[in-house]
Amino acid sequence: MSPRSSRARNVFEPLEMAAVAELWKERFAIPESAFSGYRFFRKARSIWAVSDSQLPGLSYEAIGMRIMNCKDRPWKPTTCALQIFGSYAKKNAMHLRADSARLFLEGKTQELDPAAAEGCESGYVVVFYRGDVLGCGLYSHGKLVSQIPKERRLAGREGEDMP
Amino acid sequence: MDFLDRYRDIVPDWEAFRAVQSRPLKSSARINTLKVERAVLLERLEKQGLDSRPFQWYPLGLKLDVESPGKLLESLLGFIHIQEELSMVPPLVLDPRPGESILDLCASPGSKTTQISAMMENRGLIIANEPSLARVAALRSNCERLGAMNVAITRYDGRNFPRGLFHRVLVDAPCSAEGRERRGPGVIARGSCRRSLDLQALQIGLLKSALRLTRPGGVVVYSTCTYAPEENEMVVQALLDEASEYGGARLEQVRIPGLQECPGLEEWNGASLSREMRSAARYYPHINDTGGFFVAKIIKG
Repeated sequence: MSPRSSRARNVFEPLEMAAVAELWKERFAIPESAFSGYRFFRKARSIWAVSDSQLPGLSYEAIGMRIMNCKDRPWKPTTCALQIFGSYAKKNAMHLRADSARLFLEGKTQELDPAAAEGCESGYVVVFYRGDVLGCGLYSHGKLVSQIPKERRLAGREGEDMP
Repeated sequence: MDFLDRYRDIVPDWEAFRAVQSRPLKSSARINTLKVERAVLLERLEKQGLDSRPFQWYPLGLKLDVESPGKLLESLLGFIHIQEELSMVPPLVLDPRPGESILDLCASPGSKTTQISAMMENRGLIIANEPSLARVAALRSNCERLGAMNVAITRYDGRNFPRGLFHRVLVDAPCSAEGRERRGPGVIARGSCRRSLDLQALQIGLLKSALRLTRPGGVVVYSTCTYAPEENEMVVQALLDEASEYGGARLEQVRIPGLQECPGLEEWNGASLSREMRSAARYYPHINDTGGFFVAKIIKG
């Protein structure tokens, strides 16, 4: 990597939709059509999506939503991106019961009933509760590790039920 | 006696205005139509037995009598956003349309930015500017949680925002925030004329910059959550005085059906202001049981 590469300069570089859609198709079987109407950018090791429009020549802090982190392998989807695109997932999607959903929203790690994880491969999964996407989880060896960002977690209160 | 007493002659029903300051304001929330339909959201809240009532003047606004409403699942999922009632007014006055190009010059924490995004149905572009890095975090977090996908964030000093020609520009200016007393008591105790005049210089700079960046025929909305005329009418007056340098400007009436406003001031402390100023709106806390706000709508050219 040369010192003048985009990663070093930390600028937003346009990215083809197909390159992004391919990754989401492979992991979550989300159709490419879910991404139409957006433009994509890469900045350092993250990928961003923004509604399709003309961007004036400005110095940007953020362009739309950060949807993926490619710093490590495998790439990791953000919780906010899954709440937009994750509802189209046909694989590596997990539907939790109320007690598990609460633990997940509190940011906890939990042992899962194998039935809940049926059809899920190890790695990042879309976590659903009653049809809503809660966010991103990391599934491996029967355990689900919540990836909900700290500021978006439910405060753990004993005995409180999920709506 | 305190700093508010200087408003005795401009605020109607003075005793009620004084009395309401010590009454805390209930929480309110905005339904985020980028992620949920209004009917679906209302049904969810009702099923949980939560005490919520839509505003009379705005179907997407809710009074929410709930402890820590920001910790509701609906909030974490981005279906609602905790936002003060009158803070929902400036985007309605701005009246953005899907596909337009909008500048939100003082955007953090993004309540109005994301409301504008929802009004635009995520189409077009909003440049959300916020110079402070610390405040950008909250702005980003709210945009992401609420699924506002047509927002790009910049960090310029709004007075020197470099380029662009926008359909509409919102200047929700830094201010002395006297209208927030019911949310955070003590704001008024910290007020001073000196502080208002310091802020005025910044506010005038921001508003001129906004007019410069607006297309001919485009709209600039100027809002604050303070009563101080130094930060409201006198800022707008300074813009009108020099508007010919930017292609001219006139005020348009601000009126939200169902909310009672008072007209902008035509004079203050012996100084005459433009008669147009009565088109601006002053919202007082005792009249609609809200906080306090000032909103002016400026048309370029």
